[in-house]
Amino acid sequence: MIFLALASIWLIGFGLLRWMFPRPIRWSVHNVLLFSLGIGAGAGIASCLWFVFLAAAGPSFAAWPWVGAAAAIAVLAIVLARRQGTLIAWAEGEAPPRYIRIVFGAAIALAAISFLAAVSANPHGEEGAWSIWNLRARFLFRAGAFWRDAFSNDLRWSHPGYPLLIPGLVTLCWKLAGQESTDAPIAVAFLFALGTAGITVSALGALRGKTQAFIGGILLLGTASFVSLSAALYGDVPLSFYVVATVALLCLQDRHPQDLRFSLLAGLMAGFAAWTRNEGVAFLGAIVVARAITVLRFRDRGPLLRSLFLLLAGLAAPLAVVVYFKARVGGPDDASFLSPSAILQNLAYPGRWILTIQAFVLALLKFGAFLIPIALFLALYWYVVRFRVESSDRPALTTGSIALLLTLAAQLLMTILFSGNLPVELNTSLERYLLQLWPAGILLFFLASGPLQLTAEKQPPKSKAAKRVHSAIRP
Amino acid sequence: MARHKFVVIALAAVALCSTFWFLLDVVGAVSHRQIFGVAAFESRFDGLRKTIQPHSVFGYLSDNSPNDPTDQAEFYLAQYTLAPAIVKYTENEPLIIANFHSNTPDFKLLQQHKLGIVQNFGNGVLLCRKRGR
Repeated sequence: MIFLALASIWLIGFGLLRWMFPRPIRWSVHNVLLFSLGIGAGAGIASCLWFVFLAAAGPSFAAWPWVGAAAAIAVLAIVLARRQGTLIAWAEGEAPPRYIRIVFGAAIALAAISFLAAVSANPHGEEGAWSIWNLRARFLFRAGAFWRDAFSNDLRWSHPGYPLLIPGLVTLCWKLAGQESTDAPIAVAFLFALGTAGITVSALGALRGKTQAFIGGILLLGTASFVSLSAALYGDVPLSFYVVATVALLCLQDRHPQDLRFSLLAGLMAGFAAWTRNEGVAFLGAIVVARAITVLRFRDRGPLLRSLFLLLAGLAAPLAVVVYFKARVGGPDDASFLSPSAILQNLAYPGRWILTIQAFVLALLKFGAFLIPIALFLALYWYVVRFRVESSDRPALTTGSIALLLTLAAQLLMTILFSGNLPVELNTSLERYLLQLWPAGILLFFLASGPLQLTAEKQPPKSKAAKRVHSAIRP
Repeated sequence: MARHKFVVIALAAVALCSTFWFLLDVVGAVSHRQIFGVAAFESRFDGLRKTIQPHSVFGYLSDNSPNDPTDQAEFYLAQYTLAPAIVKYTENEPLIIANFHSNTPDFKLLQQHKLGIVQNFGNGVLLCRKRGR
């Protein structure tokens, strides 16, 4: 039943996307991208609506008829859509060599096996998952009329101010299935990891071609901490899903400036990022600022300005849910326990800055649990392949890069300002901060990198005249 | 072309080896039983959990030494298991959950904290009440 519930939720997202970007149902990069985006769209819509109904009508609200009806409408939208929207196709380029395809397949298999091995050993996830996300879901599922106990001040240690996309989705699955099971958070984690990889590969495929897409996919699926944090059932990979979805959609927007639905959808994804984790709120602010900077920076302002407005329109609804939750339902955030003078003291103490910078440099070198620091490998890749950015990609690349840098800066600043035990916080958070931005970072890196030449260039066929000359001079 | 091929193959090799290393780590942790047993902890508290009503509040006492690093994790696990009741790490509640690591209650510790047993659920899990209340 849990898998049926999740399938219905995914169908809502996929149906919405198929309605926005209709194309025939067949195996294509277009449909892979929509399938992947549908995971987050369905999860975000279902979670937001579940919370709105919970806050308005209470926990006795029967969810099945509504979810069923929405899924049925989505199926109708998928089946009956005859319109032809913008086509997302593979970018032109040389076909990936056989060994790249084999390694890509191996990376998918290894990541899936590792995920399954980790969750079967630890079905409740790591401590941060069960003591925060799954604990909240249990309260919301078990407490009935007392569901607001989930945000009690007595549970301060479990961050009752964190947003509810993941616990809400898990609770909704349990409600629809009529039982509590660790299958729900595990399936949610798996779907978000699958969707993140799907968006990264398909968006790169549409922007740069199959070869760069497969290499980007290998790098993401080969990031051990991407797999381990997914299997830990933390909220970091779902957040990375929404970050890469927003950035990918804005990249596609700048390739197809006539179709502003990409920006609307990007705004929706950024809004869901804020509904996933507090760091998502920082990303939401950063992407709006970055897009505004892009509007000012580039000459062709008309389409970019329209894109900015649509981005704002898209994020309005999820942001309203987040604001209502923070103002009326959620418990206090960590920042609210510190007095302004303590925050100023933290800000002014140079030791905290030095410690943070030191830890950040180390985290960059250790990131991803790669056997060799991946930062060095990317530097080598850049040295060999170099960057070559198409003029049509420059606005998106500017928006994405500024947004990621601003988000990271905001995360580090929050840590310096609000963290009680800074060394412990840095030790446990920096890897996760980087991972939240990593899939979008891979997307932007391979979007900017120059063309790859992995197969020998074919010699043009010799003309008959050339053959005659060649045979004449042969001894 | 050769330089491009080299850098791509190297990148792919590092990525694949890193995930494979992680898989070996997971398999090693499982075979050496290094996984923190949430399920085992939950089954210990099963008897108490079945009696829990929503909106109830309990205090918490453990026989772990104050500096034991597992103490905090066990308290969090007790809360995770007993949700939707709220468990507070305090003895200033009418009902207190005692989490002991032996089947026989530590009467000395209970006496020291002026606690009387309300119900013994076995496996070192007890529901206690402050004496004199």
